[in-house]
Amino acid sequence: MNFAKIDCHSVMKHICESLDEGLNSEKCKEIKKHLDECEGCQNYFDSVEKTIEFYKQYEIKLPEECHKKLMVYLNLED
Amino acid sequence: MQESILIEKGKNGDRKALSELVKLHENTVYNFAFKICRDKDKAENTMQETFLSMLKSLHTFDGNSKLSTWLYRIVVNHCLMLARKSGNNEFVEPENEDELYDNKYFSDSRMLPDKIAENNELRVILDKSISKLSPEYRAVFLLRDVEELSTEETAKVTGLSVPAVKSRLHRARAFLRNEISEALKK
Repeated sequence: MNFAKIDCHSVMKHICESLDEGLNSEKCKEIKKHLDECEGCQNYFDSVEKTIEFYKQYEIKLPEECHKKLMVYLNLED
Repeated sequence: MQESILIEKGKNGDRKALSELVKLHENTVYNFAFKICRDKDKAENTMQETFLSMLKSLHTFDGNSKLSTWLYRIVVNHCLMLARKSGNNEFVEPENEDELYDNKYFSDSRMLPDKIAENNELRVILDKSISKLSPEYRAVFLLRDVEELSTEETAKVTGLSVPAVKSRLHRARAFLRNEISEALKK
């Protein structure tokens, strides 16, 4: 996801999905109205998205040695 | 070869098919185990136990869920067991929503960096932050947000109800966001 392009609609969708609310419910309309005007909330939700993205990006590589040990452990080596 | 064919062959003891199944999923299992345990040795041990368990009980796999979902469940159970054994009672269960959504977090206009690439300081912060979170919350956050399982699949893997997954996910996100933001201020 490109965070520079994140807009209120995608944030709203995210929030309202987690609230189990449709985008047109009264609660979501109120939230949208607030979000449109509130910079604090916009930054907050942007940072929640980034937090998720950080953990997504954080991958480690399975060392070849671990792979070999695994196959021996399982008695599946070639 | 299709995974379903490999599974059928594996159930009949075909070593080549079993080996292929392991190779297909070893990276995912190792990474996921690391993300929950935050420790490479524990991740390796969990990966070994997960695949051993797969070999022992593949014949009971009914194909109603994906094999990966089945493996995630074994990893989660193993990691929760390790956490219980460790006797660490310091984990945070972020249940106080007034604290989690304190106004101070909304007035903080500092933007987080865009990428973690080559940023070791940030990696340390990510490790520390998630390690504070109780493993049950960690599992929900990682399955739903990082591995991108559906809410229903996450519920199945963790044995939680759908509403419990949603509330834990919401709080885990806020907790991690706050921890990272606070750590970056220092």
